[in-house]
Amino acid sequence: MPALSEVFKNDIRKIVSEISEVPIVDLKDEAMFAEDLGVDSMMALEIAATIEKKFKVVIPEDQIPNIRSLGNIYELLAKLNPR
Amino acid sequence: MDAVWNIEKIQQILPHRYPFIFVDRVVEIDEAAKKIVCLKNLTINDYFFAGHFPEQPVMPGVIMIEALAQAAILLYAALKPEIAAKKPIYYLGKIEAKFLKVVQPGDVLILEVIAEKMTGSAGIVNARAMVGTEPAVEARLMFGIK
Repeated sequence: MPALSEVFKNDIRKIVSEISEVPIVDLKDEAMFAEDLGVDSMMALEIAATIEKKFKVVIPEDQIPNIRSLGNIYELLAKLNPR
Repeated sequence: MDAVWNIEKIQQILPHRYPFIFVDRVVEIDEAAKKIVCLKNLTINDYFFAGHFPEQPVMPGVIMIEALAQAAILLYAALKPEIAAKKPIYYLGKIEAKFLKVVQPGDVLILEVIAEKMTGSAGIVNARAMVGTEPAVEARLMFGIK
């Protein structure tokens, strides 16, 4: 499975930063959304919906609870093969 | 328009009661399109008109948003009945809205809500309130379920 390029990762960081209102510089890939960044289930859903639009992918509903860190999103998107 | 769900059914789902129920009737549920259409009939007896405004009755924008949010709960209950049956708490998290038309006594507000994404703990919907074919509000609502 190919790793996501830095360009993709930066776009994802921007989306997460905007929705969570956490500055990009404070977004560590391994930080846990709920525990470290205060991202609740509603924000996680908004992040998923925004990523779907931006990258033209469909994130299956059962995968959304697994979105718990930036690292998780990179893994999920690499699997979904965004354009 | 005929009711798909009447006010008794609506009150089985919505925890809201007088004076805070802003959906009178559900007229369409399309599970495949993840869509619901509801009605709110405006009358000069609606209590908010007494103060908003005494000389010129206008339905408050926040109450139109509340009506759309209640329609969104009804849509959630139609699409996820097993979760709605547990009587969870629904709370609004974020609203993006445009107000396009003044709504007055005598108008029938058509509340049209389409699910963008829904999970067991949250939902995002695109909503529109119309009088006839004229849009009064366009909104995107995000809500949580606990």
